[in-house]
Amino acid sequence: MSSPSTETLSLTEPPAGAPASDAATGRHTPSPLSPEECAELARSAGLSELGVRPHRRHYLREIWEFRHLVWHLSSAQAYATNQNNHLGQLWAVINPLLLVGSYYLIFGVLLKTRGGTENYIAFLTVGIFVFGYSASAIIAGARAVTANIGLVRALRFPRAILPMSVTLTQLLVTLPAFGVLLVMIPLTGEPFSWHWLLFGPALVLQTAINLGIAFFLARIVNAARDTANLVPVVIRLARYVSGVFFSITHYAGHGIVSMLLLYQPLAVTMTIGREALMDQYPLTWSSWAAAGIWAVVLGAGGLVFFWRGEGRYGSD
Amino acid sequence: MEATETVRDRDRTGAREATPSVICSELDIVYTVFGARKKATTTEGEQPWLERILRQRRQVDVGNVRKVHAVKGVSFVVRHGEAVGIIGRNGSGKSTLLRAIAGLIPPSGGRAWAAGRPALLGVNAVLLTGLTGSRNVMIGGLALGLSPREVRERYDDIVEFSGIGDFVDLPMSAYSSGMGARLRFAISTAAAPDILMIDEALATGDAEFQTRSRERIAEIREQAGTVFLVSHSNAAIRESCDRVLWMDQGRLIMDGPTEDVVAAYEASHRKGGR
Repeated sequence: MSSPSTETLSLTEPPAGAPASDAATGRHTPSPLSPEECAELARSAGLSELGVRPHRRHYLREIWEFRHLVWHLSSAQAYATNQNNHLGQLWAVINPLLLVGSYYLIFGVLLKTRGGTENYIAFLTVGIFVFGYSASAIIAGARAVTANIGLVRALRFPRAILPMSVTLTQLLVTLPAFGVLLVMIPLTGEPFSWHWLLFGPALVLQTAINLGIAFFLARIVNAARDTANLVPVVIRLARYVSGVFFSITHYAGHGIVSMLLLYQPLAVTMTIGREALMDQYPLTWSSWAAAGIWAVVLGAGGLVFFWRGEGRYGSD
Repeated sequence: MEATETVRDRDRTGAREATPSVICSELDIVYTVFGARKKATTTEGEQPWLERILRQRRQVDVGNVRKVHAVKGVSFVVRHGEAVGIIGRNGSGKSTLLRAIAGLIPPSGGRAWAAGRPALLGVNAVLLTGLTGSRNVMIGGLALGLSPREVRERYDDIVEFSGIGDFVDLPMSAYSSGMGARLRFAISTAAAPDILMIDEALATGDAEFQTRSRERIAEIREQAGTVFLVSHSNAAIRESCDRVLWMDQGRLIMDGPTEDVVAAYEASHRKGGR
């Protein structure tokens, strides 16, 4: 980065009729009131200062007041995602099916990574759909502020609304895929069980994890937007090491590497999804506790991190 | 310097009864533009105001990124019930100033205060073009701080005022620019904001819509609201405003009663040979 040049590139000459030609001499227009007088006047008139970060409690209340905006933005954007083609919303179901088909062809038939799994199709389907939700939510969440800069520059609302609505949009877009999942699982031979109901809570924990990551990335990308290009790369890497299409314990054993791979947030979300839906994987405290801890730590930590940047969004 | 003195006197002595609604103190705005090469004649039409400012601002190159110092040391006090016009050439920082006092661009230097939640209505005020007009009415209304019920109550009024009829169920990408501007105006004024800021929006409507919007502005002023109007039409400024700020190259050159400032502004064109 070069230091700002002091030379003024003036492409226009100063207006000839300007009184006392301030522009020509380049001096500041004198303030009608001193900064201290302005602050005093603003305080006595009860005005709020612009471009400063609101207090944490105040911020939470503002977000709550704008909850309807989150919902309407998300549902409208989710609906708009698939409206530009003839089959419309049907693609929300067709796309994940095509994805499962192609992954099965590559990993189930050609590369044979089905080791350690009893029902590979169910294993693969849960992995693809659950990971797919995280991947799309994180990629879109990273650009939550920069992609909506027009909205940011036109309307004033707590900016945390943006990562929240982007995450919710991706959840809504993915819901049909989860519907397909719940139909496919019994077709692959999994017996019905009461713990299928836990797939709902698993989805809630996953959403909190995704939202937390989106909060972190949205602020980072807004400050240094080149980083947005790295997000898809990291997601791709995560897709290959998180156990989407192979069993981590079968291929990586039980050592420290396996533990790291198993308990990172994106792998944990798939583990609890499989424990909820598949007979082969009994419910374990460790995975659900890990998911819960990640959800709280990332969700709350992300919100605080994002809030600390409030007041600066839109300046770039 | 005469005009500034007048304002100083007014702030110190008279007009005490009207409380301030917007205060700017030594306001500086510097922002970063990406993808800005020296050849600033690109046709990135999405954000023409950026482009406009780019062409005329002092520019500092940092590779692909450029810092634009769009507003420099601007100070003023505006009171409830005032209608303030902002005039100046293209790229003089008018729109940026407006966005700053709407709380949309954080100040880089100086401070600014405002009453309530300002509503900015610009030609580029982005509604979501992929979505239908009615979805935009809901989202815009919620973003202005209305509740879903309040938006539903005012929905018919908004659509009626905008005059877009059945188009409200089509995506906004199918709208003409005039229709888009009318819908934006209808949404922005539906919330009866404390501070309404209008960025050259009136020029887009037809004659009938311009009359109606002028009436709406007068209503807002009667409710002790403050109106800011950025326009290149001196006639529109004369009709709607009683005070004018003249911006040039990011600086506030003159601040005073409409007639004085507009006359000086027009005189500067003639002397400048335009």
